[in-house]
Amino acid sequence: MRVPLSWLREFVDVPGSADEIAATMSVRGFAVEGIEPLGELDAVIDFEVTANRPDCLSIVGIAREVATAYSLQVRRPAVRTAATREPARSDTRSASPADPAAPAAVEEPPAPDASLSAPGLHLVSLKTVEKADVDVVIENAELCPRYAGAVVDVKVGDSPAWLQSRLRAAGVRPISNIVDVTNYVLLELGQPMHAFDLARITGGQIRVRTARSGETIRTLDGQQRSLDPAMLVIADAERPVAVAGVMGGADSEVTRETGTIVLESACFNALSVRRTSKRLGLKTEASMRFERGADPRLPVTAMERACALLEHIGAGQARGTVVDRYPTRVEPRTLRLRRGRISGLLGVDVPDTAVRRILEGLGFALRDAADGWDVTVPTRRVDVVREVDLIEEVARHHGFDRIAPRFPALVAAAPLIDPRIVQARALRGVMTGAGFSEAVTFGFIPSASASPFAADDDVVPIENPLSESFAVLRPSILPGLIDAVAHNRRREQLDVRLFEIGARFSRSGGERRAIAMAWTGAAPAEHWSGASRQVDFFDMKGLVERVCEALALQATTASDARGWLVSGCGASLAVNDTRIGVLGQLLPGIAERHGLQGDDTVFLAEIDLDAADSVSNRSGFRVEPLPRYPSVTRDISIVVDASLPAGVLRRTIREAAPPALTRVYEFDRYQGKGIPEDKVSLSFRMVFRAPDRTLTDAEVQQAMESVMAALRSRHDAAQR
Amino acid sequence: MPEGSAESPNIDALRERWLAQLAAVRTEAELKTLADEFLGRKSGAVTALMKTLGGLPPEARPAMGARINALKQEIESSRDSKREALQASRPPAGAVDVTLPGRALPLGRIHPLMRVRQEVEDIFTRMGYEILEGPEVEDDFHNFEALNMPPDHPARDMQDTLYLATPIIGGIWGAHRAPLGAGSVPEAQVRAATLLRTHTSAMQIRYMKTFRPPVRIIVPGRVYRRDNLDLSHTPMFQQFEGLVVGKGITLADLKGTFEAMLRDLFGDVKVRLRPSFFPYTEPSAEVDISCRSCGGSGCSTCKQTGWLEILGSGMVHPAVFEAVGYDPEEVTGFAFGLGMERVAMLKYGVDDIRLFYENDLRFLNQFPAI
Repeated sequence: MRVPLSWLREFVDVPGSADEIAATMSVRGFAVEGIEPLGELDAVIDFEVTANRPDCLSIVGIAREVATAYSLQVRRPAVRTAATREPARSDTRSASPADPAAPAAVEEPPAPDASLSAPGLHLVSLKTVEKADVDVVIENAELCPRYAGAVVDVKVGDSPAWLQSRLRAAGVRPISNIVDVTNYVLLELGQPMHAFDLARITGGQIRVRTARSGETIRTLDGQQRSLDPAMLVIADAERPVAVAGVMGGADSEVTRETGTIVLESACFNALSVRRTSKRLGLKTEASMRFERGADPRLPVTAMERACALLEHIGAGQARGTVVDRYPTRVEPRTLRLRRGRISGLLGVDVPDTAVRRILEGLGFALRDAADGWDVTVPTRRVDVVREVDLIEEVARHHGFDRIAPRFPALVAAAPLIDPRIVQARALRGVMTGAGFSEAVTFGFIPSASASPFAADDDVVPIENPLSESFAVLRPSILPGLIDAVAHNRRREQLDVRLFEIGARFSRSGGERRAIAMAWTGAAPAEHWSGASRQVDFFDMKGLVERVCEALALQATTASDARGWLVSGCGASLAVNDTRIGVLGQLLPGIAERHGLQGDDTVFLAEIDLDAADSVSNRSGFRVEPLPRYPSVTRDISIVVDASLPAGVLRRTIREAAPPALTRVYEFDRYQGKGIPEDKVSLSFRMVFRAPDRTLTDAEVQQAMESVMAALRSRHDAAQR
Repeated sequence: MPEGSAESPNIDALRERWLAQLAAVRTEAELKTLADEFLGRKSGAVTALMKTLGGLPPEARPAMGARINALKQEIESSRDSKREALQASRPPAGAVDVTLPGRALPLGRIHPLMRVRQEVEDIFTRMGYEILEGPEVEDDFHNFEALNMPPDHPARDMQDTLYLATPIIGGIWGAHRAPLGAGSVPEAQVRAATLLRTHTSAMQIRYMKTFRPPVRIIVPGRVYRRDNLDLSHTPMFQQFEGLVVGKGITLADLKGTFEAMLRDLFGDVKVRLRPSFFPYTEPSAEVDISCRSCGGSGCSTCKQTGWLEILGSGMVHPAVFEAVGYDPEEVTGFAFGLGMERVAMLKYGVDDIRLFYENDLRFLNQFPAI
């Protein structure tokens, strides 16, 4: 809300510079977006008005806040009768005495040359009549609680300079004297208004109704818009002439030829305006105010203000009457404010006098009650619906700075930290210790990036993505991580080791946590002592085994041929029958699509942490006694089919050996001279140990023979 | 005599120069070069001095010659002992060159946002908070409705939401609390998730619907908004939700908690509360810290205000308590949301939020390893 200081000072005699006022108000709930000097003496303060305060989308609303902050009074407008310019009765129709926008004492009539300068705060009193030169019917009172229409004879032209410059300062473009006056009132009092050309209102009728299906309207911005029956419109006898609370229609627009206008000053249902504005994609100064909540008591006062302004600038002459349709009078609500509740919530004792000063300054009426006050809420304060809202008002203006800091007492021990957070921290330690840096990538990715990593019907699309780059939830962390690798490779980083821990999403599995890793470049790092080597499958597998060890997982691998893996260079990871992850080399074609070079060798792995948790063997751990008897180590070298997985042979050995076999592992693998084509020589080392005695040579020898026999019979293995 | 007195300082100066340069010698090659400079047959400094003898009066020559010879011997003997010393310090056979680089065992870096996250978690753990995570995909009830934002509430515009084209099952949370006893089993996903949470506040609702007060939790995690990438916005960012509920919790407790936390995070800063608006807190407050660039006097970082906005907070709205079955007459509480990016940017002097999501190693490697 852009507030010219000179305009503000018509309502409140606030001392100090714009900077000082801005500083004061910014700690009372009105953050300041900027201050612009306006000539030598004036300035515009741009206040940020929070969504709950539509009453402050006006000069008078800000003035009330400023007055309360500075313990000042807001000046009230004076009332004159239309045409006669004689002092009129005090108007009791539209507001409580505490309402600063309400008329009060009569002020002197304007000076003869008044049209040359800004007006005083006067109103022209209008007589409420059943039917004037226009007939108003509200067909849907739920969506339009109040509608006031008044007829004014006008001479359309440009506004005087002071009015134009004031509108410009507040950020509104001057259009014509009539439209400018409606905008002036909107800015000053917060009441959106609209002017229709009476000659173009068929039948002299204003009907507030919902649109009929198939109806259209060309709005003031020149757009042809289709209406639907959920939208409220202002119609004449035949067709819609305005979208209620949003924008007027072009057909009934005030032009230079217009001689008589109907001024509209109404109150529309917030939700209805909001929905209509959203559906039409049309946000206006009016809709912005109505959708936050309008004051049902303001329309006639605003009408009187508009008429006074039109007369003041010589743009027109009100006929002195208003048709005010207000089927159900809105009564202000009264809330109990308990003294003890104020200190109970704020942690500070606010003196009764301060409570009264603040609330009355803002237009609330207070009556003493047993434990506090009964507070009557002005109808414009749509945000104040319960006691706590009143306490906020007190807190804002008493000052948050007057609350002394305390510390909440602990009344119970905190439960343990979420084990998933502990696990993530441990994994960060494992991964950074292995030379991997942590990446954080977005949770959504382009759908083309997702498709190699999940079936299309398992990917979760975003319904309203900002762009194709963020089109689907990531089914895997890997695509984002590949992007990060590519980003680094394009910036002269040869060795890239990255990992990420986070959520991934699928239709079948929902949201699940995973750790992903990507590795390209030298492994191990380049060193003077020997030639460097590019990362290969077994580097990545070693890393994965390290992570599994950290997660207390006894995982096995099996070859895997999913689409993003180089054929024959991929494996799935499982614990018993639960698949927990995948590792392998990224297909060069996919790497290139992410901006990598075709010959960049990138190894990837991903482990589902939720699945890992379900099969992890960490709980109930107890130490074993240390072995008391020596172990015996034996090696065996065999020649088998090169296509036979070592894991299968290892399993055969375990099955054939007695329980004394405590460990078996491959220590050599050889293909080439001396070994037939498509065969391989594999060497296993076996460690035997019994818990209760020293094994004899014969026992071990017998075990070795059973192992060899099994290898021979099951795998056609030959001993070397 | 006038000439003799002129020669003596030459000899002394030469000796001093020799001793000074000798002390700086580190290698045998350097020693040889230096010795040649003084003793070389053609251009050595001592040799040159010797040649000046011929220009002296005959009676002065013997004394001068003796002095030059003495210098020469001194230089030769100190050279020899230096050589011996250098030879003695040669490495033994088979010695390694300890100055060659070792085989690198590279250390990776924790992401700066996660550094901040761990730091904040530690601060609140010390203050007795429970730290837990919640699902990133949410339903409308937990993300909006129970937080006093019914459908069509204007405040929903403040958080432009990303919706899922098909509902999915949200992530599990709080599984570790299940064995604590009856009534503490976290609410199952009764509704399928239809949106990406716009704030971690959704976990306020899940937690309070599951556990009775007192509550003292921190929920770190990713949140999503329909924002374009620019210097200060990303469509995904990281937040901490804080929630404290109990008997007699006041705005003063909120203030004291923030002062303690923000001083732990940023050192000796001033803390200021400014009234604001969030639908789920009342009163609501933005929290500022004094600008660290200018110390509060006003600069471009703080837009001349002397203050930097750091988090949003407030007293839990009674409607939120009612939505989760707490009695607002019995308990009060405060809640806050803190952006990890904001903290990291202020703490580490990062001026472009996108750096956190590019994962450029040249950026990540600037952070300490531990």
